[in-house]
Amino acid sequence: MPGNAGERRRTRSDLRLVHIALALCLAFTVLGARLWELQVHEGAEYRGKSESNRLRIQRLESPRGVVYARHADDLDVVLADNRPARDLMVVPADITIDDDELCRRLEEIVGIDGDGLLATIQKARKAREPFKQLLIRADVPTAVSARVDEYGALLPGVFTVVRPIRRYVYGETAGQILGYLGEVNTKELREKDSDYQMGDLIGRAGVESLYEDELHGKDGRMLVTKFAAGTPQIRTDPYGKPYVENLVDSYGHSLRVEEEIRQPVPGKSVHLTLDIGLQAKAEALLEGETGAIVALNADTGAVLALASSPGYDPTVFVTRSGNRERLDILRGKPNRMMHRAYQEVYPPGSVFKVLLAAAALEEGVIDADTTHYCPGKFRITPNGRAWHCWNRSGHGDVNVVDALAFSCDVFFYHVGLELGVDRITKWAHKLGLGEQTGLDLPGEVSGLIPSRDWKENRLRPQHPNEPWEYRWYPGDTVNLAIGQGAAATTPLQNALLISAIVNGGYRVQPHVNRETPAAKSQRLLSDRTIGLIRAGLTKCVEKGPPAPTGTGHEAYMEGWHILGKTGSAQNVSLAHQEDYENEEDIPKELRDHAWFVAGVLDREPPLAICVLVEHGHHGGAAAAPLARDLIAYFYDEWAPVEMRLARNRGEPQ
Amino acid sequence: MRRGRGLGAANIRAFSLWNLRRLDWALLGLVFVLAFIGFAVLYSANRSVSVSTPYYAKQATFFVFGCFVALLIACLDYRFIVSLGPMIYVVFLGLLSAVLAVGHVAKGGRRWLDLGIVGFQPSEYTKLAVIIMLAWYFAKIGRRIQRFPYFVLTFVIIAAPGALIFKQPDLGTALTLGPIAVAMLYAAGCRTRHLIICALLGAAAVPVAWGHLEDYQRERVMTIINPSADPQGSGYHTIQSMITVGSGGLNGKGYMQGTQTYLSYLPEHHTDFIFSLLAEEFGFVGSCIVLALFLVLLLRGLQIARGASEAGGTLLGTGVVTLLSFHVFVNIAITIGLLPVTGIPLPFLSYGGSFYLTTMTSIGLLLSVNARKGLFEFSARPPALVPVR
Repeated sequence: MPGNAGERRRTRSDLRLVHIALALCLAFTVLGARLWELQVHEGAEYRGKSESNRLRIQRLESPRGVVYARHADDLDVVLADNRPARDLMVVPADITIDDDELCRRLEEIVGIDGDGLLATIQKARKAREPFKQLLIRADVPTAVSARVDEYGALLPGVFTVVRPIRRYVYGETAGQILGYLGEVNTKELREKDSDYQMGDLIGRAGVESLYEDELHGKDGRMLVTKFAAGTPQIRTDPYGKPYVENLVDSYGHSLRVEEEIRQPVPGKSVHLTLDIGLQAKAEALLEGETGAIVALNADTGAVLALASSPGYDPTVFVTRSGNRERLDILRGKPNRMMHRAYQEVYPPGSVFKVLLAAAALEEGVIDADTTHYCPGKFRITPNGRAWHCWNRSGHGDVNVVDALAFSCDVFFYHVGLELGVDRITKWAHKLGLGEQTGLDLPGEVSGLIPSRDWKENRLRPQHPNEPWEYRWYPGDTVNLAIGQGAAATTPLQNALLISAIVNGGYRVQPHVNRETPAAKSQRLLSDRTIGLIRAGLTKCVEKGPPAPTGTGHEAYMEGWHILGKTGSAQNVSLAHQEDYENEEDIPKELRDHAWFVAGVLDREPPLAICVLVEHGHHGGAAAAPLARDLIAYFYDEWAPVEMRLARNRGEPQ
Repeated sequence: MRRGRGLGAANIRAFSLWNLRRLDWALLGLVFVLAFIGFAVLYSANRSVSVSTPYYAKQATFFVFGCFVALLIACLDYRFIVSLGPMIYVVFLGLLSAVLAVGHVAKGGRRWLDLGIVGFQPSEYTKLAVIIMLAWYFAKIGRRIQRFPYFVLTFVIIAAPGALIFKQPDLGTALTLGPIAVAMLYAAGCRTRHLIICALLGAAAVPVAWGHLEDYQRERVMTIINPSADPQGSGYHTIQSMITVGSGGLNGKGYMQGTQTYLSYLPEHHTDFIFSLLAEEFGFVGSCIVLALFLVLLLRGLQIARGASEAGGTLLGTGVVTLLSFHVFVNIAITIGLLPVTGIPLPFLSYGGSFYLTTMTSIGLLLSVNARKGLFEFSARPPALVPVR
């Protein structure tokens, strides 16, 4: 029965085809289910991924804040700002003439290497990125960019992109205070907010570093669609603002700006108390020397000049090509990175006698009439070691005024022993020696005024083999009394000390930022103390005859009421110096550091000055003239506007 | 002579325009709809690429040419085609060998024969040659397929071209032959238990095959297991394709609004990953409509196979439907991250002339089988499909 058999066959084979059809349906169901999972169930997530694929946040860098100093009394002077750096670029797609011809013309007009550029252009063309902006030359001088503008028609495809670059208007002047910029490192990238990117510049020292957060500002941004390959190519107008129309990427895809552009917020300005004239003068005075000058407004603590020599020009750290110069600065001897006014310590030497006199008068150990006989040397016990006065022939009977004026060591040996180390350190602490002054600049060092506690609890544990060496001996007090031994202070601390004498007994808070509120301590010194010390310091700068000549007479100026105190800080053992017959024969690196602290009483604002010249030998000879010149400059040549006006009107000053 | 008797070539009027009056308009309608969708999607894909002739225009040329070929084949008596099976098979073995010897190297494989103006990719059409060969073979042996040696011989038949294609290397195409053989065996009435044994052997052979894969092929398999291990490397396609499909959501981003494809995050989006573009722009709804169209087309193909008057037609139809099904399933499964990335184009949508021709030839074969439906119902011989006990 073929028919029957045929029927059966049909059914069987049909069944198998139905199986295949079912398998097919099953397979398509799997596809549908997976599509449901991807598109509906996880659709939002994938939509987000596609958005982040598509959108690129194009950063618009914020211009860094401006740093101002003062000019005279009331003018702001720009110390650091941003200038537009013009980068010369070319877009191969826009070159309407022969590539080679363009390169020749650029060679002639701009003076670049035409062959190198030609290779770069051809490389971009080969990579099918004709819209890539190729750098011809970074930061071209204005003359060159003007020439390019002039010959614009001959240079199709060439244009400039403007970006802000840090400018230090006065170069090396106040350079160390401003600090410098360096590329942000990975650790900082992790710690700082996302505003920083690899390659960004960040403050590395001084004001730039301390006020980084204020100066940095807030970057703007724009959101653009981005193709998988290619990078957005953004042009800027002459002010550095990005063009939005005709935005393309390196392959020439036109890109769309997706979000209203958020313009960058420039960094905040920082206003310094520095007087640019005084700062420049102070630096000029130190020219060729190693040392520091501090000038404070004694009433407010505002730092008017903070000079250190040798210094550096922070511009070197901004330009990309200054590697050799940077290395010179970073490795040079003497150290140019360190600010000697507050980042380095020296024994205060005789300057410390001002503190000792103040402490002794306040503690009642001496009064105006107390005298000690100075035979030129001093012994604690009759047969003990002899401490010499700098004047080996002795000063005879001296009171506190004369002791300060002639810097009699023996007088202060006596006073020191009577005061005792504990009271000395107490007053050093009160007047701000041997500890950080709280200056608003990074990296301030504290220095040290040795104390019983320091020697017995700090030093002794470090030397377990000879504990007897680390007790406080009376001899230590004698050394400390004239600012030697372990005593170490910064020039800034000494300026603080003299400013207390100038302002009538207050400790002020030194500061360079005008925003920092002027802070003043309780009155620490009585009128009587102030009067006596002022008398001594006045006598110190007096020039005879007829008056006896003080150690600081080099700072004397007719008709000025100047306070001064000299100091010589031994930096090596005296024994080394004694090998030499004449002072002039002592090699420079063995000579004492020269100190001079000075104050001006009868002028406004009252200045407190501290000058340190490394290896200057005698404060009176090496440092005092600098202080005198600075004072004369400040009040005469660079007189604050108000004062000059008053003088012109013939009013009394 | 209009009504043929048996399979003897002499009895067949090989070419007859009369067939055109018996076209399956349902099938053709589906083909036109899918082809139209293909042009539309390619038009969108063309946005991001600047080429002298846009893809959709070229694709239209391929379609017109394909239609011509399909109708030509529809006019042929499929029994005549099946009878040529052994000859076609041998010719293609020769062509594949020639490719290995003197072929043109492109994209890491030796797949093209340079024929002057046009490149010719024999492996593409080998799939069809194997289908015809198998249809001839199964029709020839009839119920003997239930015997194991005949069953095994099937695999010998596909192994020869398979190995040659694998050597090129073109893993995707080589793998197509497997499902075709299995589906045709099943339709031809082989014993199910033979198929199960075969599947077990196949599973056992996986480790051996793994050793013979090229490094890039292994990498692709590995990335399907964990695509995020190397998101910029071999996992890139899979991840970007999944993002593209997924970001389409329920309703899609809108025609010509796709960003993933437009912004070139997904390479090859006009060829192997065209479905991603469709899914991105038309969403779940659009993808499912296209899936449904494909399913209806394939089921219609199976119906035609089922309606064939004798075994050769059924087998030919089954083979062709399996080929198209494999391409649709695997291609879409790749774009949605279910299978490793392999070059398997999607019929009607993926840009490309060779595969369009394969597709339209398959459609032509189905039309041809359909045209002969019910014409030799009375014929007792040869006995077509054998009852399965």
